[in-house]
Amino acid sequence: MLLQQQKETRGRERTMEAKPEEKAEFEEAEIEYVSYGGEHHLPLIMNLVDQELSEPYSIFTYRYFVYLWPQLSFLQAFHKGKCVGTVVCKMGEHRNTFRGYIAMLVVIKPYRGRGIATELVTRSIRMMMESGCEEVTLEAEVTNKGALALYGRLGFIRAKRLFHYYLNGVDAFRLKLLFPPPRQVL
Amino acid sequence: MADKPVYEEASIDGQPPKLASIPASDTTVWADASPLLQAACAGLRDGELIHGDNFNLFAAMSALEIMDPKMDSGIVCTYYSIDEAIENGAAPIPISLDSTIDVRCTIDIMDHLLACEAAWHKGHSLAQTVFSCIYLLRLDRTAPHALLHSYCRIIRATCKAVVSVVSDARTHEEEDLFTMTYGLPLNGDGDDKCLSILNAVEETISRQLRACKATSSKRRLPEDLEPLQSNPNLEEGFCKALLCRLRFRKHFFHVLSCMKRPQGRGLESARKHIASCLTELESILKSADFLRSCFDESCEGDIDDKTTASGFEPIGFDAMLNSRLSAPTPPRAIKILSWKKAVEYFVKLLHDLDVICSYSLDPRLESLLRFVVQFQKSQPDLVARSHLQLLLVQDGKLYGRDPFFAVINKAAALPEATKNHDIQKNESFLQLGMLVMNLLKILCTNAAWQRRKLGKFLQDWRVIYVQLELAFRNEYGEVSSSSNDENTCMKIFQHILLWVEEQTYWIAFRFLILGFELELYSTGEYCMVYWYLYAVLIKLTEKTHLMMAVSHDTAKRKGKKKKDSPKDLARESRIPPAVLFLQCYICLAEGLTMMLAALRNEIPVFHSPSPFNTEHEKFVQHFELLQRACIPDHVSYPSYKESTTHARFSTLAMYNYFKDAQRIAKEVKSSFSNDPERLAELRKLEQVAEHNSVAQNVICRLGALDPSLKVSFEFSHHPFFATVVVKRS
Repeated sequence: MLLQQQKETRGRERTMEAKPEEKAEFEEAEIEYVSYGGEHHLPLIMNLVDQELSEPYSIFTYRYFVYLWPQLSFLQAFHKGKCVGTVVCKMGEHRNTFRGYIAMLVVIKPYRGRGIATELVTRSIRMMMESGCEEVTLEAEVTNKGALALYGRLGFIRAKRLFHYYLNGVDAFRLKLLFPPPRQVL
Repeated sequence: MADKPVYEEASIDGQPPKLASIPASDTTVWADASPLLQAACAGLRDGELIHGDNFNLFAAMSALEIMDPKMDSGIVCTYYSIDEAIENGAAPIPISLDSTIDVRCTIDIMDHLLACEAAWHKGHSLAQTVFSCIYLLRLDRTAPHALLHSYCRIIRATCKAVVSVVSDARTHEEEDLFTMTYGLPLNGDGDDKCLSILNAVEETISRQLRACKATSSKRRLPEDLEPLQSNPNLEEGFCKALLCRLRFRKHFFHVLSCMKRPQGRGLESARKHIASCLTELESILKSADFLRSCFDESCEGDIDDKTTASGFEPIGFDAMLNSRLSAPTPPRAIKILSWKKAVEYFVKLLHDLDVICSYSLDPRLESLLRFVVQFQKSQPDLVARSHLQLLLVQDGKLYGRDPFFAVINKAAALPEATKNHDIQKNESFLQLGMLVMNLLKILCTNAAWQRRKLGKFLQDWRVIYVQLELAFRNEYGEVSSSSNDENTCMKIFQHILLWVEEQTYWIAFRFLILGFELELYSTGEYCMVYWYLYAVLIKLTEKTHLMMAVSHDTAKRKGKKKKDSPKDLARESRIPPAVLFLQCYICLAEGLTMMLAALRNEIPVFHSPSPFNTEHEKFVQHFELLQRACIPDHVSYPSYKESTTHARFSTLAMYNYFKDAQRIAKEVKSSFSNDPERLAELRKLEQVAEHNSVAQNVICRLGALDPSLKVSFEFSHHPFFATVVVKRS
């Protein structure tokens, strides 16, 4: 069952952070970070993910996240009212560990390379840490150098390599961030 | 069938069921649920969802939205059934009424099937690759077309043979798409005759080839024989193109059957067929020029991307026909390998199989482990790895021949008396045999899976060690209190314990270095990784050295009981080359650790703290499995910190470990003059050591003074010992 579940979700959890191509002109301070504010945000997030990630997500997947972790799951970056990035996360018990999971991370191309993804992820991780998570995990394509560097800077290690994880035959890394035991957190 | 409550709800408005056209049994009551659904919808607010208690991510991700082209494979089908495809002429027989075109199309089908087969071996489902061929899906239909029929039959039999090898070996945990065959007509009657059918067709075409050669040289036709097709100018080329394709299939099928024979008895014959396969593949490649030139029409696009030698699209394939059988994932279009890449794949596969077939079936575990590790270096694919595994472990014995207890006996240099000793019935001893068997199986899996398995496996080796030690203590009390060296049982235990430790450290070593191959370590983590590698290597070397001394001792006892000659004593006092080899590793690991530590302590770039955790957490994560199994004992994060915290450029200058490594590598080479594989490894070690020695001098001299100095690490000389590159920016 577990194996099947892995297979079922594989190829759908992708994080993208990439080389700047067509760049947008903006100041970092103009970016506004907003938590999920209700139904009106859902189409924005769905469009963003649909545009940028190759794998399809049914409405149920979004509902699943928003229903269980409304504050955590959809964090968005807005620039002058336009939604330019989002991160989708969850938390839960996994083999006796309370673990956070980053399911999707998207920043649209013109806005990449300016720290928006880092900010989105950092905010999510902080929220997971405050909620009592012991670790955070995610999968990233081994070829996605941008994402690997981003998560590396945040303290993630490459815990495993998952052979042919994506349906295009590319391997994935399972990335993990272990928090220090609570007593050490000042 | 509707549930009763629904029926009651739905019939509130008194409308009769309207779905009479759907066949129903006597007990079926059909009801229109639309009013109920409408009522439910009206009661739901925006964003609400009806779900069961078990609604989870799996359920959510499994849902498909109908009519969404990314999710609903149904809407992108050309045909909804095989019959529909056939009725629409998607796979005609004959393929063309023009016999020349018919032959060309048959060759295209053969080529595309080869590309499909390679794509299958490389990880796609059988349903979406080989069985996208409509002719294969209805093989009996092809009977009137002898050529196509014989080829399809041997393809089906080959696929079946390959599936059986891979399923038996069970090395495919992460590659489980491979053996999924449900819904596919893989089991046809009469496939045992596939070779005789193929031989008959081959014979006919050989005669046709002879006949056309005879005609061209104006000799008389030797017999009354219909030519293959109607264009005499193309006859020879087509016959040749077909013959190499048919012969390749024949020999490949023989390779698979020979390799399956018990106890490696068919390996020698397999090698002959492998050689024939490679020859035929060469001819197949050569036939491409003819196939491309024999028709005036040329195909569009880059020929290197095509799945056929001619460059034409093959007839009779539809990948979406059984896409619903492909996997528990939503089906989607896959890319079949190009014909060129497919041929390359088969060349590599055959070379890998040849390596297996040329192995001497050495009963010594140490050389066997080295062979498997060396074999894995060429990154063989699943099919080759499965064959190796089946050869190594058959019927719970090594090569189906040597019981694992006997293998351990030899490896651990147990006394002669062990063979008949009751001790082999001891539970822990039996388990140890299982562990060795599992080790061999794990070593045949892909590197990613292998590393994960080895990491968990260490715990089992640790447990067996503790159990054996406990059994030993129960029987003999403390080791030191016993003075009876001649006691066989005690000797067995001592040897076994030592040997188990040696194997455990060897596994730990392999676990750590596989991390480099899989790119699991980032530069910032190299320091701790080399430090840990160093700690493991120290123990491995120590145990190996002791084990060698012990085996030497046993071997001597087995031989003539003459007094030790001074020459023997001198030889014993020398460090064995295998140990020196490991010492070279130690020097490199230590040298890299200290250099990385100094860089981290002196140059801020090498010490970039992360916002959420520290180096300690990374250490815990990377070495958790080793730490849990106490490998090695007393090794911890504080001990790592302690040994690296004081490293500075100034301390680095005091000792150059790389020079030691270089010296040892140079010296020990002469001892391995008959071992090309270890000789090559020593050369690589020597190169890394030489480069790093120079780099260390530069860093020590300039590191503190020149802030523009850029230090990076490359694996250009050795797969896991980094070459240090120093540049001025």
